Amino acid sequence: MTRHLLKMVWNRKRVNFLIILEIFVSFLVLFGVVVSTVYLSDNYRQPLGFSYQNVWNVNVQQPGRDQSPNDKTPAITLRQIMQSVHELEEVEAVTGIGHSPYSGSSWGSSVEMNGRKIQYGVNRAADNFKDVMGLQVVNGRWFSAEDDSANFEPIVITQRLAREAYGDEDPIGRRFGELPKADAAASLEPEKERRVVGVVAEFRQHGEFAGLENFHFYRFTYEKSPSHLLIKVRPGTTRAFEEKLSRKLRGVNKDWSYEIEPLVNMRENSFKLYLAPIIAAGLVAAFLMIMVGLGLTGVLWQNVTQRIKEIGLRRAKGATANDIHTQILGELFVITTFGLLLGVVIIVQLPLLEFMSFLSTKVYFYSIGISLALIYLLTLVCGLYPSRMATKVQPVEALRYE
Amino acid sequence: MLKNYLKVAFKVFLRRKFFTFISLFAISFTLLVLMVATSLVDHVIGPLSPENKLSRTLGVYFLSLGGENNQSNGLPGYGFLDRYARNLPGVEKMSIFEQVGYKDAYRNSEKISLYVKRTDGEFWQIHEFNFLAGGPFTSDDDKNVNFVAVINESTRKKFFDDQSVLAALGQTIEVDGQRFRVVGVVADVPILRAIPFADIWVPISTTSSASYRRDLQGSYQAALLARSRADFPAIKSEFASRLPNIEFPNPKEFNVARAGADTRFEAVARMFIGNGRETYPRTLLAILLGLALLFMVLPTVNLINLNVSRILERASEIGVRKAFGASSWTLVGQFVVENVLLTLIGGLIGLVLSVFVLRLVNQSGWIPYADFQLNYRIFLYGLALAIFFGLFSGVYPAWKMSRLNPVEALKGGTR
Repeated sequence: MTRHLLKMVWNRKRVNFLIILEIFVSFLVLFGVVVSTVYLSDNYRQPLGFSYQNVWNVNVQQPGRDQSPNDKTPAITLRQIMQSVHELEEVEAVTGIGHSPYSGSSWGSSVEMNGRKIQYGVNRAADNFKDVMGLQVVNGRWFSAEDDSANFEPIVITQRLAREAYGDEDPIGRRFGELPKADAAASLEPEKERRVVGVVAEFRQHGEFAGLENFHFYRFTYEKSPSHLLIKVRPGTTRAFEEKLSRKLRGVNKDWSYEIEPLVNMRENSFKLYLAPIIAAGLVAAFLMIMVGLGLTGVLWQNVTQRIKEIGLRRAKGATANDIHTQILGELFVITTFGLLLGVVIIVQLPLLEFMSFLSTKVYFYSIGISLALIYLLTLVCGLYPSRMATKVQPVEALRYE
Repeated sequence: MLKNYLKVAFKVFLRRKFFTFISLFAISFTLLVLMVATSLVDHVIGPLSPENKLSRTLGVYFLSLGGENNQSNGLPGYGFLDRYARNLPGVEKMSIFEQVGYKDAYRNSEKISLYVKRTDGEFWQIHEFNFLAGGPFTSDDDKNVNFVAVINESTRKKFFDDQSVLAALGQTIEVDGQRFRVVGVVADVPILRAIPFADIWVPISTTSSASYRRDLQGSYQAALLARSRADFPAIKSEFASRLPNIEFPNPKEFNVARAGADTRFEAVARMFIGNGRETYPRTLLAILLGLALLFMVLPTVNLINLNVSRILERASEIGVRKAFGASSWTLVGQFVVENVLLTLIGGLIGLVLSVFVLRLVNQSGWIPYADFQLNYRIFLYGLALAIFFGLFSGVYPAWKMSRLNPVEALKGGTR
């Protein structure tokens, strides 16, 4: 039966070639959208590592930041700001961070360890950051006052980074990367050697839809990074608190400028950035698929009308309506499979060429599966009407042509 | 002859309504997407108000500093632009302005965040804003540190409710802890036009600390209005020749500067492809065209597929015409005319649809102050695309049709 179908398809290769090409291209387009959707939804289901509820972000900007690094005023002012914010009755806690979550700004770095290059996101976080944001320490400890006197740079890393850097070994107290070069003073990296003091379960600064990444914290010191404050407010605090907060901040230093935004809002905005392109691409792809579906229906319908003679002859020789139905759908199935095979062959090349290496194998195969199923479904739906039409062909119509 | 073709074409369209519908659907949808995309690009980099003089404007939008171990890509600082981008030959006017910042303002304890842009007096001469009341601030306002501001219409409504536009003049607005007197109200500028866009424009000199005046890197950009496009090469090369002579405050940290006087398209290419360091406008153009072509492949194959089927259906008609002596070329011509006609109708439908879609996007508020519009340029692009599309998808089937054997065709043959 299959061999017969293959032969039928081959005999009409000119017409079928175009259909195969169309299915091949549709598959590629659909895969592009499906793989992005699967990737995002897979990311969304992974743990976030922190809690954003009732946390407000304050972006502190001081004009003319290029002042000499020995200038102690910014650090003093920042301490004052944090203290006076804490006095507000709505405020539970204030903590400092280099770049706030969901803000879109980031700091990435890489290190050579065990002969492998490991990439990670970096941030600076204050001693009380863990409690304010609900981070979960799984090994060692978070930063604390005992780091003040340390002769090394304490760091906290995520489980993912610990596994990549140290495998199954205990990372606590271990050195992280090489000693920085002597002339690194101008860069953002510290001058002292880095040692792991703790491991947290997870931290995904860019939010739920962002890809999973290794993460690495430096201790927030007022001298180095007075840029963002995170303020935990009591539940039920309304946005009217904002002006009060703003007054308070300006009261300490009116030359600095402050942008206040609840993390919940920043989260929604960052979601838009991830979802808008996918929604636009999804809409376009959906319309393309409708177009392809209609086109296929038209072509198949045309094929059936053209083959009335052949179908009539088969009916005359005793084929049942069901046989004809199976034949038409079977041919379509074979053609579709050709197109899809071609597509899969192309798509499987991508990870081999390290083109989409950030995708996990799971996401990759799920996406191929879903795209295959969708295309088969599409062709099946397109084939139903024309093949039903074919079953209605009467043997006598075949005779009329001879 | 052409009239006959058109008549036949309409008869054919009406005979197989399902096929005609599919073709029209495919064409109009494809053109809809392409036109919406084109209008998006036009919205961002086309010569629209207030950037009417964009065709003779260059800009210094990015500055990349490099050293032995360091690399810093970002916006130029005021000091860099003031020292190295001023007085270039052929430049009629030059304006330095800050990138917009989102600042808090309060009105009766209700927070209203505003996009603030600090700029100079020349800014208003290079750009043609639509003033609803009052006028711009001047270079003297900037020099004398006058706390004056130009606001846009939306901001005026937020702060002064339903009073008349004129009533806003002379009133004060407190933004980011500073009080500004409103001297002008302009029509809203779309947010995607990043250079002129803001909610409120104030003089650069009102920045609370003066240290910005020295910086190499910062958050400033410059627009250079050339006397004509012919001056572009001279401006670019003079600016490029100044870059190696920059005095770096700390040569150990940075000792190379990379920047350029770019057209808007070059600036986009610098940002997205050159990583802010170099500009590759040709590569960007190739990528954009490649994407458009890639998107058009599917509808085209679909259309070719349909057309091939339709021709086979008309085999007997073709057989008769061939038997009466019509040449292959006549038949190809007829079919291509039919197809181009169909695409043009589809293109028209797509045009109408895109007007609706763009209006929907404008009104939805997804993009603040969005003002996507179709203009004659986009219309011409759309028309060209439709004709290209019609020719492209019509030629192969027509060629196939012309090769039908008349005897076979008369018998209703299919091979």
